[in-house]
Amino acid sequence: MRGSTLTTNTIRTRPASGLALLGTELSVLFRRKRTWAMLAALAAVPILIAIAVRLTRSGSGGGAGPAFLDRIENNGLFVVFVALGVCVPLFLPLTVGVVAGDTIAGEASNGTLRYLLIAPAGRIRLLAVKYVGAAAFCLAATLVVCIAGALIGFALFPSGSVTILSGDTVSLGNALGRSLLVALYVTVSLLGLSAIGLFLSTLTDVPVGAMAATIILSVTSEVLDQLPQLGWLHPWLFSNYWLGFGDFLRDPISWANFVTNAELQGGYIIVFAALAYGRFAAKDILS
Amino acid sequence: MSRNWLRWAPAAAAVVVVAGVAIAVPTVANASVSLPDKTPTQILELVASSNVRAFSGTVEETSDLGLPSLPAGSVPSSSRGSSSGALSAADLSLLTGPNSLRVYVDGPSKARVQNLESLAERDVIRNGSDVWVYDSKDNSVAHTTLASRQHFVRPGTTPQATSPDPTTPDPQDATPAGLAKKLIAQLEPTSTLSVDSNVRVAGRPAYDLVLTPKVTDTLIGSVSIAVDAETGVPLQVRIDARGQKTPAVNIGFSSIDLATPAASLFAFSAPAGAKVTEINQHATAPKAPDAPATKPTETVTGHGWDAVVTVAAANSLGTLSQSRSFGELTTAVAGGRLLHTSLFNVLFTSDGRIVAGSVSVARLQEVATAQ
Repeated sequence: MRGSTLTTNTIRTRPASGLALLGTELSVLFRRKRTWAMLAALAAVPILIAIAVRLTRSGSGGGAGPAFLDRIENNGLFVVFVALGVCVPLFLPLTVGVVAGDTIAGEASNGTLRYLLIAPAGRIRLLAVKYVGAAAFCLAATLVVCIAGALIGFALFPSGSVTILSGDTVSLGNALGRSLLVALYVTVSLLGLSAIGLFLSTLTDVPVGAMAATIILSVTSEVLDQLPQLGWLHPWLFSNYWLGFGDFLRDPISWANFVTNAELQGGYIIVFAALAYGRFAAKDILS
Repeated sequence: MSRNWLRWAPAAAAVVVVAGVAIAVPTVANASVSLPDKTPTQILELVASSNVRAFSGTVEETSDLGLPSLPAGSVPSSSRGSSSGALSAADLSLLTGPNSLRVYVDGPSKARVQNLESLAERDVIRNGSDVWVYDSKDNSVAHTTLASRQHFVRPGTTPQATSPDPTTPDPQDATPAGLAKKLIAQLEPTSTLSVDSNVRVAGRPAYDLVLTPKVTDTLIGSVSIAVDAETGVPLQVRIDARGQKTPAVNIGFSSIDLATPAASLFAFSAPAGAKVTEINQHATAPKAPDAPATKPTETVTGHGWDAVVTVAAANSLGTLSQSRSFGELTTAVAGGRLLHTSLFNVLFTSDGRIVAGSVSVARLQEVATAQ
């Protein structure tokens, strides 16, 4: 692992442009064994759910368990939505926290940060590239859950037209399109958390600390979201709209939550990217 | 040193800009609205002359009744399957809010209301004489056919705004002015009608008609109805409780579109795999084993805002008082247990009667002991 990082870094010492830097960043990120392990763990969630439902057929009490669980037997596509409902509150923030918390602190602890900052005005560009890398992981993680869920769902359960939340029935193609929108919604939902992770990552040279802090913040936000006494705070919490992806399963599709959520995440990105810049621009790079 | 300070400038600017936008946008939306002055009578005429028959929109409902919030699922699940369709957690959530509803209306006989929940939805669809209720949580459908004489109350309208009494037709009622006059005559003895400063609801300028009870021993402080200045559609109803800053109940459009909704929205049929319950209104409903033989009798003491309703012993109360949430929601007072909210009080007397009204506890106890 160490050896491979070192060789890639010798390539990365003089990137021609931001795009080249981004290319190497993405290839390093998605060639890491840790990234693959996390994506595999995420893919395991829909697979386990589908197998469990398949083995315990017709035993489920209506309405118990995660949302949509009892729909799986009618249509395999619902594995995707059950899995996302399970992953969004915990597993996705966990993996995103690891990737986002590692962005700067990981390089610092590897002793590779100084090589990345040789080019003038390199710091802003490096922050941007690191953030885009974390965002790419958000998209990849969400798509892995969706694709694994759809494949295992259609393998074990019937497909065909889908009954959506409004009680209307739509064609399978329509439902697959809606699933892609759901994946987009979930990806956008995780962007605010990624920005927080990026900022925390600039504070320390210990990547585990930044990862833990990011994950703890996401759990804290979700706990605060559960307390009715803090209702005034809820619209400001980055996790408040995380489970709003069901809006794409209504007829007609409701875009209100998507827009509000995107604005909220955008606010978090602006604030925490600026904070990360403030911290990182004048940070003494000792490693 | 100054460089050290400068690097945080973008961060400070970002916080200021984001906070500024977040605060400024709602403030701009609530900027003062100038409309030609109208008297309460003119506003009621405006409501009565409204000819909006089709619209769609989103309705937000919030309430602050001072009830302890019930965690989901605290209501015993055994009550769900009972034939009376007893109080379920879902019904309670309608009371405690907040709720987000999408409403589609096309004329008096086509309507659809979608209660948007997290990863779930409940729909009520009326298409002609067919009424469907769909619950996505258990994929269940209830269907019933309406008798033609039944009137349909338009969602979003208030009891004050609907025609007062369909059994006594009066040609005068057909005209907006006549209807307004009649409403005023009904409201005047008990309430003071006034017009508050204009508001903006769902982005539309609106008049704010306020009804204030003349009696002082009711818990209701005032009822405000925002009436769209252009079309006369009531856009928002707010009920304030005495001595409470936040509205006890607030139901209003957050967006409204006066175009006719697509016809396909009202064409509903039970989806494949759903549990369908057919409810026949004409046949007598099958009685639950413990159903009371006679209908509980109601007596109303007083009228208007401070009326008190007494319901004689109903034996469903026996099972109700066993449930845990009943104990959590009510407190022991002299003469029974009390459910207290900021808008109304309900006294469950020790001898099984229910005495309820928008009045103080002392008044309820007085009525309970007098009978």
